[in-house]
Amino acid sequence: MKKTKLLLNLIAVSAVSLLLSCGGNTEEDTNELNVVDTTDALSDEDFEDMFESPEVDYHLPSPLQVASIFKKSGLDYNSDATSKTDLVENYTEELTQMLNFGVYSADMAYCVLNEQSNEGRKYLQVITDLTERIGMEAVFENKDLMDRFDKNIEDKDSIEILMIDIHERTEMYMDENDMQHQQAIHFAGAWTEGMYLGVYDFENNPEKEGVGTQITEQMSILGNIIKGLKDPKNDGMDIEWLISNMENIQNTFDEFESVNAYYEDPDAEELVLTITENSELSELIKSLRTKIING
Amino acid sequence: MKKTLTLLGLFSFAILFAQTASNLTEFKENIASQKAEAKAQLKPYRFDGSKVTYFNFKTYKQVKEVEIYLFNNTDYRFSFNGKSLPNDISVEIYDKDKTQGDRILLKTLDGLQGKNVLVESSELNDTYREAKNSKGRLKRVFVDYIITPVPGAINKKPTMKERGAIVLVMGYKN
Repeated sequence: MKKTKLLLNLIAVSAVSLLLSCGGNTEEDTNELNVVDTTDALSDEDFEDMFESPEVDYHLPSPLQVASIFKKSGLDYNSDATSKTDLVENYTEELTQMLNFGVYSADMAYCVLNEQSNEGRKYLQVITDLTERIGMEAVFENKDLMDRFDKNIEDKDSIEILMIDIHERTEMYMDENDMQHQQAIHFAGAWTEGMYLGVYDFENNPEKEGVGTQITEQMSILGNIIKGLKDPKNDGMDIEWLISNMENIQNTFDEFESVNAYYEDPDAEELVLTITENSELSELIKSLRTKIING
Repeated sequence: MKKTLTLLGLFSFAILFAQTASNLTEFKENIASQKAEAKAQLKPYRFDGSKVTYFNFKTYKQVKEVEIYLFNNTDYRFSFNGKSLPNDISVEIYDKDKTQGDRILLKTLDGLQGKNVLVESSELNDTYREAKNSKGRLKRVFVDYIITPVPGAINKKPTMKERGAIVLVMGYKN
């Protein structure tokens, strides 16, 4: 931060020096003035954007919290359920890299919370690779996170704290670089993977009501993820297919009889879907997850 | 003469630009340390993320709202840091968003300027159950920042003394 401050002052002094050193006729002077006017306008807009939050905003839960909630609901670890780390080579486009950054973050949280540290380490490695490709390598600056992981691999608590650090560093990096709009893309990947892990377990163990309830509860976040994806700053990311798939999941869910009955009854405490509704929702989530991990 | 005046104008602009940029950088640095302070207050709850709400005091009242999810079997702690507030604001926490007329006011925080204040989801749930006379629980809350009007504020081009921010850090019990 201090470097930034110094840099800004240097830029201003350099700009003045440059302008003072410029000679030429009146016509050239006019051209120079036009250039400065444009910079002035752009700078003001940038500052206004950074220091004026939207009227309505939201906070999405971290992949670690989502994994923790699912675990508390009875979700068991299934080693075959997570996305394969060798798929990372296929993610050459920015969008697939960002989405699968989210997918792997959810997988890492799932492994760590289920005391599968060696598996978790593999996910940390691919997450590190992806942050470099996305241009967020500063999050893993000095490789200290990987060293910390190795030193504490047997200590679940320390690994969880390390995951929190990664999340915090990512959040801070995105805030400082005005990239909040891209958080929705990471989160879309993490949400889909979290839901998939829930669906995978629930399909094999339908008696686990807690997991089923958690799947429906996580649906409440979807509206805000879609809203985040629709941020005009994400234009050009080619995410229409993703928005369309997520909207389809949202609309299908909203039309379920159980959902309508739940919202019509002010005394209803928890929303429980029927077997058919659960199955329909599961298929849509699995289909979206396949599209995301296949790049 | 015209050229000299132009250069003087540009020089003044550059100085002003550097000053503004420098002030804003300092403002952001303060936010980072306030975030760390708010996070430290979360313990023993696990950090889950933060939301900094930036605003500019204007001559009229403004409301900015942040939606937060509360999941089953989980207790949450919210740490509000008001050390980047040049003027005081009110914080109101509701069960529904500001477009809903029948929403329940769960908690009000006043005098946050210069302080760090904690709120826990258990107390919000207690108020909610009492108001609804039911055993239900909150599935989300809406934090409204009521930004009071400041007479004489420059609405279109705010100065540093009109810029404010509130840091909210969220944590959950593991």
